[in-house]
Parts: sequence; structure tokens; C-alpha cells
Amino acid sequence: MSSGNLAREEQKLAYKLLIPAFLILITIAVYPLGQVFYTSFTDKTFATGREASFIGLENYKTLLSVTIKELPPVVDENTGEQKIGEDGQPVFERPIRVLPRRPELYRPVFEFSFFSNRFVVGAINPDFLTAVWNTIIFTVFSVFFETLIGLGIALVVNSEFKGRGAMRAVMLVPWAVITVVSARMWEWMFEPTRTGFFNMIFERMGVGDGNFSFLTTTELQLPSLIAVDVWKTTPFMALLILAGLQLIPNELYEAARVDGANKVKQFFSITLPLLKPSLAVALVFRTLDALRVFDIFQVLLSQKRYSMASYNYFQLIQARKMGLASAVGVIIFIVIFIFAVTYIKMLGVDTDE
Amino acid sequence: MSRESADLIKKTLFYLVLLVIVFYLLFPFYWAVNSSLKTEPQLSMTPATFVPRDPETGNLDFHFGNYKQVFSDAQFMRGLVNSTIVATCTTFLALLAGSFAAFALGKLRFKGKQPSLYIILAMTMFPQVTVLTGLYAVINTLNMGARLSMIITYLLFTLPFTTWVLTSFFSELPIEIMQSAQVDGATPFQTFRMILLPLTAPALVTTGLLSFIQAWNEYLFALTFTAIDVKARTVPVAIQLFSGEFARQEPFGAIMAAAVIVTIPIVVLVLVFQKKIVAGLTAGAVKG
Repeated sequence: MSSGNLAREEQKLAYKLLIPAFLILITIAVYPLGQVFYTSFTDKTFATGREASFIGLENYKTLLSVTIKELPPVVDENTGEQKIGEDGQPVFERPIRVLPRRPELYRPVFEFSFFSNRFVVGAINPDFLTAVWNTIIFTVFSVFFETLIGLGIALVVNSEFKGRGAMRAVMLVPWAVITVVSARMWEWMFEPTRTGFFNMIFERMGVGDGNFSFLTTTELQLPSLIAVDVWKTTPFMALLILAGLQLIPNELYEAARVDGANKVKQFFSITLPLLKPSLAVALVFRTLDALRVFDIFQVLLSQKRYSMASYNYFQLIQARKMGLASAVGVIIFIVIFIFAVTYIKMLGVDTDE
Repeated sequence: MSRESADLIKKTLFYLVLLVIVFYLLFPFYWAVNSSLKTEPQLSMTPATFVPRDPETGNLDFHFGNYKQVFSDAQFMRGLVNSTIVATCTTFLALLAGSFAAFALGKLRFKGKQPSLYIILAMTMFPQVTVLTGLYAVINTLNMGARLSMIITYLLFTLPFTTWVLTSFFSELPIEIMQSAQVDGATPFQTFRMILLPLTAPALVTTGLLSFIQAWNEYLFALTFTAIDVKARTVPVAIQLFSGEFARQEPFGAIMAAAVIVTIPIVVLVLVFQKKIVAGLTAGAVKG
């Protein structure tokens, strides 16, 4: 056989071998994605016989419509001045009377003050916008703490000591726990009475009266969820960073020591710059992962508070609005895409490797 | 201060930090074990105790009733079976299709190799939740059962991962092996099946284990696709919907026992294959 013939044979074989993988990916990724885009422009409902009709951008309008209105002060008829409430704060008109009701009802998302004027932000679908906000806050904080603690653990484990192998084994334990199971384990520790670990400990330390309801108090919900996620994924972060640390040649540190650089200086002039590529990849992976968080939101908060993914699930399965859920999916896709691109640009991850 | 005592202080501090880390990583799991060994009255003791104690006397007092309850819970046991079936089948399919593709991408020369690699890489970052509604439509059209739906849809995250990691293993194998096999008259596919595949056995074990754990862990698709078919529920769904004899409140003792039961096999597996898993994880992420 001639070599040209051989090369052609090789190429043919390669295509044949790639067929199963690409066929599978087309069936479960490319085609469904197209389907999601298409359905997002319809009012399709789930598990009913009703014909779906094309409604254009209506779903997106419902999800994303936002308006800002100024709240006029409530004037006391007797004095002609603005009324002062019982809490000593000036009283403004209730948002519900200011926000538009036709053609769509806008519900208040939050209020804010600017100088002495008060404004309200209203949306047709406050739940979804709050879900996006929750997800972003959750992502930023959990990835930040995971990187920080993960870096700390990796630096400690990277030094020579007895029992390093055992330590590495311990690091894999939280990673090996199923996410739903870890959420349940923490749910039990978060019990709102002193039967729960955290209330027991906090009460002993003199913080609170042992009755924090971590998962129903609005201000405590996200911090609690972030704590669960940080525990579960920090070891993964630490392992990735550890792998990066071990790529740094020891000679560099020896040279630095000869030059009289102390540990802190060594960290900032050698470790951190050389760790940047591994850190960048770990950050991208974790961020994209955190943005699609579902398990712990669904288990710990279900319909009390949504992440983007748990809102999507809710719209599909509970509300049966397939068209709207598809639009949610498309928006999640776009948000994650934007994050991925800016991240890769910002950190300068080398894709040519 | 002498140099020796300074060293001693340093060492003590170091081990103290280590201890704090170990405590942080293991404590929630310890708390689950502790709670799983308590009875209902012990669980509602305030303040909660660090070991199971008798509410009256305060003596140590272990109970295994929660474990008995979990093992006699039909839904949970079915969940174990379902999870095993689904995770095993997905892993097998992912390794099969993945090793084919990886051999082509790692060892053969063909047009369009670079774009194919990029597509696979992009797929590893694919947000599964966005196609939830689309997948549902596909499953309905093909009229697939809940178990089969999970097996097929889990390939969405297991297949790109196995392909990517195996590609890097294949490309590291020396090209001479292939050449000498070709000289002996073997076709490329024979070389792949008889020589290269056995050589990558360790890599197959590692990637297989990792995708098994991913599939075992999956919740979103499982919850969605078993919404109607209760009998097909996997472990994460079963644990989430666990209901005990006491309908008034959640049976946390039994839930913690179930948590311990499903965690221990994975932890043992992970500890046995520790080094390989770390290598596989870092290959999947650092190179991907």
C-alpha cells in the first residue's frame, strides 16, 4: 500500500471512530439546545394537549422587563409637609400604587433612596431577576472563599511533613459526598433550635439565643448556602492548586533563599505568578459550575428562594410553562457564556496549548 | 530563644493548622455519623450532644435503629439499585464512545482534528440546565423510560470528560508502538483494540471511576425525569424525598444514616484509588 493510501485509510478510520461520540452529543446537546431556543419563542405548556403558538419575544419580555419609578412623598393634609412614619422615617407612596399595571402588572423588586428621593424598581417577574441576582452573589462569594481557603490548604499540604498522604485522602472526603447528601447533612446542622449544631455552638459562645433560623431568615439564607458549597468544593480547588504548586521547580525557592527573600516575598514573587495559569483554570471551572448551581438551592430552599437553575426547574415541572422555562434556559446560557468569555479574556488563559 | 525551640514552636503551630483543616473537612461527616446513632428523643435533646447520650443519665448510648429503618425502606433500597444501574451503564457507554473518539483525537491524523478537540473541550463546560426543556422534549419524542433517559442524558457530562482525559493519555503513548504494529501488518483498529486499549487500562479505570461518581451524584436530571416515574428514582432523589414513620417532621436520624450509608462506599473507593483520582481530576481540569 502506498503512504497516501495509508493516510487516507487513517483519516477514514478517525471519522468512523468519532461518529458515535458526535452522534450522542448532537442528540443530547446540539439538538436540545436548538429546541430550547425555538421553544423559548412559543407559549408551549408541558404535559397538556394544547397547541403551542409562536409569541415572539413575549417570554423574554416577561422575564426581563424592569422599570424604575419615583415614589412621591405622602403629604400630610394638615401641615402640607411630608408625613413622618412611626419609625421616624418620612413616608412615601406604596410601590404598588406607582408601578404600572397595564398591559402587564409590575411587582416591586426593591426600593432605594437617592438623595432625599425614593425610587422603586419593579419587574413583571421579580422572582427571576432575584434568582439571577442570588446566583451571582452566591457564585462570587463561594468562589472567592473556595479559592482563598483552597490556596491556604494547598500551601500547607505542599510542605514536607509526616502523614501527607493521609492528609490528601482526608481532602477527598467532602468531594466524595453526594451534593444532595451534603446539603442534607448541613440542613440538620442548621436546625433552628439547639438540636442543631450551629445554634448549640453559637449559644455556648454567647452569640444569639440558640434560635437562629438559618434557612428561613432572608439575610442568613445565602451565607448558609455559601458555607455548604465552600465546605463541599474547597478540597477540589485545593487539589487543583496543589497540582499547580508541584509544577513550580524547587530551585527557584532555593535561589530566592540565597538572595535573602523571606517566605512572604517568595510567595508574592514566585508562587503566585507561577501559579496563575492553574489558578485561572480552576477559577473558570468553579465559576461556571457555581453559576449553574441547583442541588443545594433546591434541597435547602426549594421555593423559598431560587437560583437560576432551580427557577428553571420550577417553571418546567411545577408551573409547566415550557416556553417560559426555555427562555430561562437561554438566558442562563447567555449569562454563563458572558462570564466564560470575560473570564478567559481577563485571566489570559492560553487556549493554544 | 534557641534555634531548636523556635523550630519546635514552628512545628507545633504547623500541626495545629493541619489539625484545624482536618477538623473542618471531617466534622460535618462526623456530625452525621453521630446523629445517625441517636434515637428520636436523643435527637431532640437541647443542647445537642457530641456523642449519643442517654437523655436521663447522660451516659453513652448508641442506637442502630436508624440503619435498620433505612435498610428496610423500599424506596431507598430501590434508589440504590437504580443509581447503580444508571451510573454503571452511563460509565460503560461513555468509556466506549469516549475511547473510540480519544484514539482518533490522540493518535490518528485527519482533517478537522483541532476543531473537533475544541468542540469536545467546549462540551465539558456545557451548562446542563440550559437544555433541560429540550432534553425533555427529546425523551418524550423517543418515548424513553426514566432510567434509560438518565443513562443517555448523563452522557452529556460524562462523555466529553472521558474523551478529553483519555485523549491526553492516548497522545502520551509512544508512536513507535503503533508503527511497529503496522509493520507487523495490523490495521489501525486492530492496533487500537489489541495493543493501545490494554495499555490505557489504568486511565480507563480512573476516568470510569470519576464519571461513575459524577453520575451517582447527579440530581437535576434525576429529579426532572423521575417526576412521574417514582420507581426509577435514584439515591439523591430518594434521600431528598425521604419520609419516615413520623409524618409530622423529617426523620433526620434516618436521613443521616442514609447519608452515611451512601457516602462510605464512595469514600472507600476514593481512598483506594486516591492517587489516580487526583491525577484524573487535575488532567480533566488543568488541561481542560
